Amino acid sequence: MRFAAVLDGTSAASADVTATVVHRQSAALGAFLRGGLDTRATGETLVFYDDERGKDRLIELAPTRDVRLLRTGSRAFERMAALLGTQAEGGQTDLFLFAGGPAGTELATRLACRSGGEVLTDVLGAEAAQDRLSCRRSIYSGHLMGRFELSARPWCISVDLSWADSDEPEAIEHVLLSDTDERDGCGPGPFEDREPLESPSAGDLAASRLVVVAGSGAGDRRGVERIAAAARQMGATLGVTRPVAMNAWAPMDRLIGVSGARTAPALCIVAGASGAPAFYWGIEKAGLIVAVDIDEHAPIVRDADLVLLDDAVAIVEELAAIVAAEREAR
Amino acid sequence: MSSMRILACFRVTPDYEALRESAWSAAARRSLSSSGGAETGHDESAGARHDEIAGPAGFVDTRFVRRILDCFDESALELALRLSDALVGLGVTSGLGALSVGTPDADPHLKTLLALGFERAARVHTEAALDFAPAATAAVIAAYIRRLDRRDLLMLGARSGPGGDATVPFRVADELGWPCLTQATGVEPLADGRLRVTVMTDDGLQRLTARTPCVLAVGNAVVSHLRVPTLTDRLAVRDRRPDILEPADLGVDLTDALRREGPSLTTLEGIDRRRQSILIEGDTPRAKAQALFDLRLKSLLEDL
Repeated sequence: MRFAAVLDGTSAASADVTATVVHRQSAALGAFLRGGLDTRATGETLVFYDDERGKDRLIELAPTRDVRLLRTGSRAFERMAALLGTQAEGGQTDLFLFAGGPAGTELATRLACRSGGEVLTDVLGAEAAQDRLSCRRSIYSGHLMGRFELSARPWCISVDLSWADSDEPEAIEHVLLSDTDERDGCGPGPFEDREPLESPSAGDLAASRLVVVAGSGAGDRRGVERIAAAARQMGATLGVTRPVAMNAWAPMDRLIGVSGARTAPALCIVAGASGAPAFYWGIEKAGLIVAVDIDEHAPIVRDADLVLLDDAVAIVEELAAIVAAEREAR
Repeated sequence: MSSMRILACFRVTPDYEALRESAWSAAARRSLSSSGGAETGHDESAGARHDEIAGPAGFVDTRFVRRILDCFDESALELALRLSDALVGLGVTSGLGALSVGTPDADPHLKTLLALGFERAARVHTEAALDFAPAATAAVIAAYIRRLDRRDLLMLGARSGPGGDATVPFRVADELGWPCLTQATGVEPLADGRLRVTVMTDDGLQRLTARTPCVLAVGNAVVSHLRVPTLTDRLAVRDRRPDILEPADLGVDLTDALRREGPSLTTLEGIDRRRQSILIEGDTPRAKAQALFDLRLKSLLEDL
């Protein structure tokens, strides 16, 4: 089986941000190729870029030895999909791999639409068998795992971003096979005047070693604020569940889960969250999970290491006081 | 621009979080006990191809669970209303339409949207399960816009349905030849007819200007709840009904589209996330917190 791993190195942001984004794409694709694709396959990396100055860094980040560069306009996804469609026409590539996220989803979908192939996003694992590609992905908001079969080629899949949690990309001696300028026909694009905003960054959540999560069991905005204050007292980073963010009891950048941040703290204290699978995805890498909830039947009770059945706000506040007293005594 | 015609699409879905754990394990068990395919909640002898599913309950038995608006679609509906309000403020006529594809479960929501000021509310009727059929769903939406109800802007959730599918907006956009922005969290009109859109991209949060026609797929917007119509609003539309269409009215052969739909969902598996679940006991919150601290947290926090 022959594959093409696709990296989007076009960006409206700075070269450093672009390199960070591509690094994450490459980490996900590289880890997936090593551990998620259970089939012998050879392939190359196609890197889209728009800034001549950053291309050497992009080549270094490619998850395969062989690399092809394609220079296009920034965020020119329709043009990029058309170029991938041309590559697919030759029939030499069975599988196009993209990293999860808005760009990967758009490119995978548009390529499948134009080439008569099939698309599946957020793939956790894949294996080829008898002219089909069998893929696993989480469905029903994470309650179940589904196995899907793709038949019509090219198979266009985006890999789940949890693959980016894996180890650093391997050191590879890259070979640049081609570098083509495809800016003709890009046009100005349908979207203009891009303005990066002060991004509500969830980066502190992703890097934090100690996280306290407030769920709707906090009761109301005041309850969440009390948990947030206790978290600060403990030196922990605050995260919240989707219902809390949707009620505007905390900023959206505190959201943990499939549609928010994915964390991997040494300790995660989950206060008043039932533990819905879509949320749990965001904490499943935690070393130790402590659940505080009044509902003994909540899924989080079963899915935590340690459980306290009590009022979430009261317990977290008591815990913060104990931690503060201990620090003071030292 | 003197007018902007907006279409907001939505899906009505079972409230999966209200399902008991036993329903999920039963679905996984049915799947594992079948030979080569998952089975429906209604007919345990049936295979699990898209075109053979007995009803919209699909693979998991959700017959007794309440129906809700898919959360991202709900944000899209409310953002469409706010955009429409803002356009009126700019002196731009805004035609607001709503579309759902599926069973009559959507009809009460369509009535609500009429009460909220949507000029048109339509449902393309099918009893076939579209839970894992994004291509067929997108074909119906694109055909509706192309053949029946020309629009300048399509708004819908960035993900929807039990598959958490994120491809429908791009599929529709590709079929219509429109650009698409996903993970939109806000949209405001400009005086020249363009739109100022806030989106979460792979690079971070950005604001950009979009020309219509285009597709806006709404993501984690702070605007997450659809407003509630007043009794007066509801009474004003009490005699109006949503337009009910058949796929054939749009030139779509849904049976054929479902037969060609791929990828196919073949198997369901349970996910075991269980950990030790050791209960920390105590008479008071203070006692429990102290027991937790002494048992594990003290040593753990010293290492952090």
